[in-house]
Amino acid sequence: MAPILSVDRVTKYFAGLAALKEVSFELRQGGIYGLIGPNGAGKTTLLSIVAGALRPTAGSVIFQDRRLSGAKSFRAVRAGIVRTHQIPRPFRALSVLANISVGSRFGLHAQRSASGTRDERRILEWVGLAHVAYIPAATLSVGDQKRLELARALAARPKLLLCDEVCSGLTESETLSVLRLLREIQQAGTTILYVEHNLKAIMSVCDHVIVMNYGRKLAEGSPEAMQNDPAVIEAYIGRTAGT
Amino acid sequence: MKGRLNKGVSSPSKFAAALAPFLLVAILALLPLLEPGSETIRLLFVTFVWVTVSVAWNLLGGFGGQVSFGFAVFYGLGAYAAALSLNRGISPILSFLLAGSVAVLASLLVGLPTFRLKGPYFAIATIGASEAVRVVMTNVSITGGASGYRIMETGTFHQLQHFYTALALAVIAMAISILVQRSKFGLALIAIREDEEAASDLGVNPFRAKLLAHALAAALTGAAGGVYARYAAFIHPQGVFAFSVGVAILLMPIIGGVGTVWGPVIGAVVYGLVHEELIASFPQLHLLLYGSLLILIIFFEPGGVIGLLEKSFRVFAYTRRLSGSHPQR
Ligand SMILES: Nc1ncnc2c1ncn2[C@@H]1O[C@H](COP(=O)(O)OP(=O)(O)OP(=O)(O)O)[C@@H](O)[C@H]1O
Ligand SMILES: [Mg+2]
Repeated sequence: MAPILSVDRVTKYFAGLAALKEVSFELRQGGIYGLIGPNGAGKTTLLSIVAGALRPTAGSVIFQDRRLSGAKSFRAVRAGIVRTHQIPRPFRALSVLANISVGSRFGLHAQRSASGTRDERRILEWVGLAHVAYIPAATLSVGDQKRLELARALAARPKLLLCDEVCSGLTESETLSVLRLLREIQQAGTTILYVEHNLKAIMSVCDHVIVMNYGRKLAEGSPEAMQNDPAVIEAYIGRTAGT
Repeated sequence: MKGRLNKGVSSPSKFAAALAPFLLVAILALLPLLEPGSETIRLLFVTFVWVTVSVAWNLLGGFGGQVSFGFAVFYGLGAYAAALSLNRGISPILSFLLAGSVAVLASLLVGLPTFRLKGPYFAIATIGASEAVRVVMTNVSITGGASGYRIMETGTFHQLQHFYTALALAVIAMAISILVQRSKFGLALIAIREDEEAASDLGVNPFRAKLLAHALAAALTGAAGGVYARYAAFIHPQGVFAFSVGVAILLMPIIGGVGTVWGPVIGAVVYGLVHEELIASFPQLHLLLYGSLLILIIFFEPGGVIGLLEKSFRVFAYTRRLSGSHPQR
């Protein structure tokens, strides 16, 4: 089976600083992939490039046999790639439901119907935001804002969902419920690339893990293999000890 | 948006709220039957023109969050296009359509290069465009340059035509505003205003939405300029293209409450009525007064008159609950 996404030697410079150096990997349809690495490793930058929000300095991103040109994220959404943001970016003046409507009315198979469809309500129930549906998103707690990020992205019906640290800042039980959601999303047929800092969370849901450090891909493989990889341990312990 | 997704409004009050605009328009349409005097008719005419441009500005600036200082370009080009067309014996309706079309073209010239860029480029470009067009029009000979241009219609018509065309245009602007607010297009605009990149990350094409809102606003503003020109019968660049016209068009929705349907209408009524008085009593001071007003609003009540009303209503409801005249829930 051909990969759903292939990232080929992607490099990204920010004014002379190399955030990504020749990163390559492939994702197969239907999996949950973990992308881990210490602070500043380049995870978010990589996600933004796949999501079409940033143009790579060099290299290419091919999604379902089509090359994405980058720099226009709405095009990627229409191809089936939707991302969440590490720091939530809700449409603050809009209600929670209207935030989700933006996803459902402009995403893949964009709907013409007005807000408040069954689909939108189902998503709200699913992520546990039904009780705040009519409240302006600005008033949500951080945990709920993280959930809204996920709900909004799901409403856009992605084939490939890019999650950027959807669990950071959440309590243990909130984390568990979000991880359960990710599993359910995967079971519904969506491929997931899940960026996370928190090793435990990644190890518990992912089939396959990509490890990054200093803008390079360090290793990839099964969660168990990565946990025992000396280079990975070095990158993590080395950094943690340093700070 | 807030209202639409707000549950729990009782249906009789909802019905009354839906009926109120129609009633208001009917009253205004029948008003001339009472022969209120030409001064009142003139004031209402001017207010209808202001309502149109204020509502138009709000489509892009209020819903879409794209601040333009250059709506005088559309107003002035509309005025001149209609004037030239009327003087060639073309019907008023066609002349106003032409006025709107010319303004749409101008909106594309400003929007196409600037809406792709992130940052305040659009707002800055509107200032430049406004000044450039005024200077050019001051030197164009077929419209008499700085000395102005006179409209001479050959046919005779009832003076109330001005009143009714302006009223009709204001109603069209309102209808468009209400439709936009309820539509998918309106949702895109608000999402762009709140966070353009996040909107794009969910499939919204910000460039297209901004361009479209700008064009729609320009069409209405251009037509309003045409309606005004026909009424005034004499226009000059320092009048219709004045930078202060562009500022006035932005002030009205801000005074009334940006991003709402009724705020820009209230702002235009306040402006239309107060402005006439101010100009009469303080011909030099009125811009200073408006500037101070703008600063006060931005610092103390960004929601404008509508925001203030909502707040006072909440305070009122709260004190009523406290005083016990209302059963506790
Ligand atoms: N827009 C930008 N402009 C300049 N430098 C940037 C930009 N975005 C990221 N960087 C830099 O690129 C590097 C990679 O950043 P990135 O945000 O991708 O890391 P990350 O792995 O997501 O880190 P974290 O775990 O802290 O979220 C960092 O050194 C960062 O400072
Ligand atoms: Mg990051």
